[in-house]
Amino acid sequence: MRSFEYLAPGSLNELLEVIRDRAPDFKLLAGGTDLLVELKHGPSDPKLVMDLSAVPELKGIEETPLGLRIGAMVTHSQIQQSALIAEHAPAMMAAAATIGAVQTRNMGTIGGNLVTCVPSLDSGPVLVALDAQVTVAGVHGRRVLAITEFFVGPRQTALAPDELLIDILIPTAMLGRAAAFRKFGLRKGQALALVNAAASIAVDDDRIIEARIALGAVAPTVIRATDGERVITGKPTDDVGALREAAAVAVTEARPIDDFRASAAYRRELIAVGTFRVLEEALALATSS
Amino acid sequence: MTVNGQVRRAEVPAETTLLSVLREAWGLTGSKLGCDVGDCGACTVLVDDLSVNACLLLAVQVDGREVLTIEGMGGFDYLHPIQAAFERLSSIQCGFCAPGIVISAKALIDKNPHPTEQEIREALAGNLCRCTGYTKIIEGIAEACRAPVGTDGSA
Repeated sequence: MRSFEYLAPGSLNELLEVIRDRAPDFKLLAGGTDLLVELKHGPSDPKLVMDLSAVPELKGIEETPLGLRIGAMVTHSQIQQSALIAEHAPAMMAAAATIGAVQTRNMGTIGGNLVTCVPSLDSGPVLVALDAQVTVAGVHGRRVLAITEFFVGPRQTALAPDELLIDILIPTAMLGRAAAFRKFGLRKGQALALVNAAASIAVDDDRIIEARIALGAVAPTVIRATDGERVITGKPTDDVGALREAAAVAVTEARPIDDFRASAAYRRELIAVGTFRVLEEALALATSS
Repeated sequence: MTVNGQVRRAEVPAETTLLSVLREAWGLTGSKLGCDVGDCGACTVLVDDLSVNACLLLAVQVDGREVLTIEGMGGFDYLHPIQAAFERLSSIQCGFCAPGIVISAKALIDKNPHPTEQEIREALAGNLCRCTGYTKIIEGIAEACRAPVGTDGSA
């Protein structure tokens, strides 16, 4: 590995001071499962690597008046084992379980996963389905963004060079919302998603009153299939045909690519199947509670 | 850091991985360098009881923490029940992946002493073996869970 200087700031203020002095010639180290690979084999040659593991503001999962706050440095394993996530947003556990393997889940963080912003990132779709917000902080203060605004393009987020992701918030209105996640890969472990699908559904009086469909790995960023959502909004909860139609419409909203893992045509089939299944599962949860 | 119960010190450049320090500074060559990108699991060690890829951690990140490598699992005097079961069932062929697999199996069994076959398979998703086809490894881990723990002075 090329040489670099290493710092592990003990607080957010300390970290931001270093960022002010050194931006943009630094890299932030979260779980390292992507960054170390990049430092060894990629084009990245930073003068400074800053380890975020000692910054308390980036840790922890907690209920706040605004919703469920998940620190950017929370690992995928911690999400899988969190009683608060199990209670309020269990679909996040389903997504975390599909990431890498045990070792990568023990090291990798949700913040790191979002910041890499690869189209196939597994944490994204459920967060979009749950209308999550993210807090970013920089030398000039903090901002709160919708998760869909945070994703800009492949490997490109809304973060400025002197900003970092602090935490993720599932808003109070979405806590306990029926939601589901499905990942399609070429195998179960260590696989990149060919298609990721997530959905959340709210019902009232045997009608679907709100639905959110999120798709990953089928466009430059995680997308919401809003046309598909409109198909089922207002429909009776026993209208299975509407779910199929919504899934078919969602396919038209995606822009899957052909690559060595799968053809675009195959991905479109998976989008239809995946979208239908997450809608069916979310609806079953919504009507059973 | 504490490695296999023993405090060890090293002064290394920041870009040194935990795996390099284990192998090159301290001669603990049980942990293997396979893919070097976190896919193969041959470098799997426990840090504070969690299984991690030693090739993807900087040594400095492990400063002050506790590491368990295959050298801390057993030796010629006694074998850990997982190692003993692997020996009995011929779970290993070339052996390159075995240190990482034994560590991943220990991480599983410590939390879940009676895993199902599916849970064993999931626990090994990050450990590639190119010889065995995994069947005898999975049987070995299941066998180790049936054996009375601790009779050989370990676990």
